[in-house]
Amino acid sequence: MKWTAIDDFGIVINPMIVEGQVHGGIAQGVGQALLEGAVYDKHGQLVTGSYMDYCMPRADNLPSFNVDYVVTKCPSNPLGIKGCGEAGAIAAPVAVVNAITNAVGHEDVPMPATPQAVWAAVQKSAKLRKAAE
Amino acid sequence: MYKFAYHKAKNVKDAAALLKKAGDSKLLAGGQTLIPTLKLRLAGPAALVDIGGVKELSGIALKGKDLVIGAMTRHAEVATSKVVRKAIPALAALAETIGDPAVRNQGTIGGSIANNDPAADYPAACLGLGATIVTSKRKIPADKFFKGLFETALGDDEIITEVHFPVPKSAGYAKFPNPASRYALVGVFVSRNGSDVRVAVTGAGEGGVFRVAEMEKALQKDFSAKALDGIAVKPRGLNSDIHASAEYRAHLVGVMAKRAAASAA
Repeated sequence: MKWTAIDDFGIVINPMIVEGQVHGGIAQGVGQALLEGAVYDKHGQLVTGSYMDYCMPRADNLPSFNVDYVVTKCPSNPLGIKGCGEAGAIAAPVAVVNAITNAVGHEDVPMPATPQAVWAAVQKSAKLRKAAE
Repeated sequence: MYKFAYHKAKNVKDAAALLKKAGDSKLLAGGQTLIPTLKLRLAGPAALVDIGGVKELSGIALKGKDLVIGAMTRHAEVATSKVVRKAIPALAALAETIGDPAVRNQGTIGGSIANNDPAADYPAACLGLGATIVTSKRKIPADKFFKGLFETALGDDEIITEVHFPVPKSAGYAKFPNPASRYALVGVFVSRNGSDVRVAVTGAGEGGVFRVAEMEKALQKDFSAKALDGIAVKPRGLNSDIHASAEYRAHLVGVMAKRAAASAA
């Protein structure tokens, strides 16, 4: 699996910190797309109250990242810099869920796309294929 | 955490006596389930009897045709033991998938079996290998040991001392871990030992670990993943929770059984 993220952060002063921000953002985005789901029962009690039930993304849920930049100097501040804090988290869920919808052939895929949700989506594509025949 | 008395047992006999004397008491082995339960105030025993210092309860050895593992043996020891890796590699591999490194370095086989969490890994190995659970009072075959959710055949002051695993001709374990907790969403252990073929499923059953007779029959004729083609477990009687529906678990039992058989064949 290959993951590439390219952003425009204006002038990058400390690339290591910026890259770290992107890594964290991607992890957050992948978590939102595949793992993290807050579940409440019918009484309003949070049932995903600990990390035994609420799945935070961890290192082994993620591939290595290729991070690169396009630099367009920001005209509105003297340093020419732009914010980078949550950049990784913006495109990540879209990229992951688009990959899944592309693979299953329809768009009825919820987030987080847990293994069960993907399994259900695959069942649905089989049904749709059959109906189309 | 509620207040409790703490006793450190010197040996098994001492631990049994302390358990009996203290009344509403719990054995403390690796504490990987018990301590969080106490912290959350889900349990409030009057006393804990700590068997962490009982040396005779720990160890791994081959005795005749059995692999014998002491109750206080940590998961990490089983996972890395050369003896286990040679005799029953699937058992070492199973131990390696339990929890995380902190859990594996503290948690014990006896503690796991005595707790009988319906999603724990070791119950599948015990039932899937036809193990015998040796206690301070008697020997209990795995088929009669696991009684239901968090329930076992153990009496109040009965202590697991050893688990005897008959060394099989081949065995395999495949687990689909809950991505958050890494407990088994579904785990299937298969083994063959002469004409004895076993398929044990953990993580899926409403009543905890169970065997699948139809799969065992098919594997007796042909011990391969292919022999399991078309054998489906029914969702009825399987767990349904926020992590997986009974239907999805039923599907996973089929997939994991094939993977386990493929790794064992």
